[in-house]
Amino acid sequence: MTAHPSIPDLIARRKPGHNLQADFYTRPDIFEADMAAIFWRHWIYVGVEPDVPEAGDVFVVDIGRASVLIVRDDDEEIRAFHNVCRHRGSRLVNEQKAVVGNIVCRYHAWTYGLDGALLFADHMGEDFDKSCRGLKPVHLRSVAGLLFVCLADDPPTDIDAMAAAMTPYLAPHDLPNTKIAKSVEVIEHGNWKMTMENNRECYHCGGNHPELNVPLFAYGFGFSPKTLDEAEAAQARRYENLVTDAHARWEAAGAPSREINHLSDRVTAFRTERLPIDQAGESQTLDTRVACKKLLGRIKDPAMGGLSFWTQPNSWHHFMSDHIVTFSVIPVAAEATLLRTRWLVHKDAVEGVDYDLDNLTRVWEATNRQDAELVEVAQTGLRSPAYEPGPYSPYTEGMVNDITGWYLDRLAANLDPVDA
Amino acid sequence: MSETPPSAPTTFKVQLTLSGREIECRADQFVLFAAKDAGLRLPCSCTRGMCGTCKSKLISGTVDMTPDGGIRQREIDQGWILVCCSKPTSDLVIER
Repeated sequence: MTAHPSIPDLIARRKPGHNLQADFYTRPDIFEADMAAIFWRHWIYVGVEPDVPEAGDVFVVDIGRASVLIVRDDDEEIRAFHNVCRHRGSRLVNEQKAVVGNIVCRYHAWTYGLDGALLFADHMGEDFDKSCRGLKPVHLRSVAGLLFVCLADDPPTDIDAMAAAMTPYLAPHDLPNTKIAKSVEVIEHGNWKMTMENNRECYHCGGNHPELNVPLFAYGFGFSPKTLDEAEAAQARRYENLVTDAHARWEAAGAPSREINHLSDRVTAFRTERLPIDQAGESQTLDTRVACKKLLGRIKDPAMGGLSFWTQPNSWHHFMSDHIVTFSVIPVAAEATLLRTRWLVHKDAVEGVDYDLDNLTRVWEATNRQDAELVEVAQTGLRSPAYEPGPYSPYTEGMVNDITGWYLDRLAANLDPVDA
Repeated sequence: MSETPPSAPTTFKVQLTLSGREIECRADQFVLFAAKDAGLRLPCSCTRGMCGTCKSKLISGTVDMTPDGGIRQREIDQGWILVCCSKPTSDLVIER
């Protein structure tokens, strides 16, 4: 039996500008290393404030073996705790969503306040000190309503820089005053990096996403300038002018729009840009018009394009004038990944009156389905002994290069001595 | 030497549908303890309105409830009570 190459060996042997070696997508030990080094040590996007709209609402998210409960306290503070009883370790909240008074373990009714303090534990004797058996807290940050958790004791501090940069971009859409119109979970049959890399390029869009291609401009995600014919070159120039004009208009209306790119030079890495939408220019729908009559926050102009926000290692988001669509990626196993998609509309919007749910969700439901298929065929192909990492397009796969580079850097920086 | 006091406290009938029993509960008595006196061990833990273990659906009737964090107002609005800290103010039918 041949021994697997070690993770540091694989990192050292990775050819720059090329896809990663198959081991990174298939080996269970690398999956475990990814969980420990990436998903338990970085800020992970898990959900939105409207997942817990009222005091006593609980939302549970499992990041590998670590289950995290997110709760809104009576003082409206959103907190996160490990979903594990301090008695004998039972899972506290077993549903994905729950409403609780206090947080109570069903096993022996140990009872915790929403601040995590242990309030009641029967039959534990007089010497038992409840004060050192509170729930273990998990770091949580809301960035304009997007909830990020970090399981590390000392989370990366540059979440502050991301929050400071992103809040002005996101705030006009007033995410805290939205509601979840729909939430869907898809298990993609591929490694989590496959799901993320697929998100980070639109090289595949032309041939695979007929619905998304309606609102999306083909030239917004890179192209090889030398191979364009004259008509295409004119289109590309038209798009460039459109972006410049639109940015000026949106920024004058109080909506920051210009690109910020820290996908490869930060620990809490991200990129954002407000991008024009084709045709009517309003929303990522099949007719490119708003899907919801009630616009978000203080937005007056329906044609605000789409503010895209990408974070390493596990999320992307599109903020439009009428709705937000937001994606959280959670690894399940080496070759299985959970993609959770939420569509948010104004909290007072009424289904069937202000919006039609099918119309709201059609583009991304279809795109998710197509992407899940692409991830699966890519994962399946890469298992072949014939697979060797091929080169990225310098024009269209820059963000794929960013995430694989970021991943390898962060993995190397956080490897346990035993893996290293 | 139990003697009926001059002014006997009001008692109400409490029907427990899952247990298939009807018990008596004084107006100054928590339903959980009336059930205990009648030999019924309903699920409970803290017995003071914190843990919610005794949360039950009140099918009909009214109670005076003094919980301590174990139940949300919206659960109360949906007809849930904690029997450990609820005194009857009418005859009750409880799904327990």
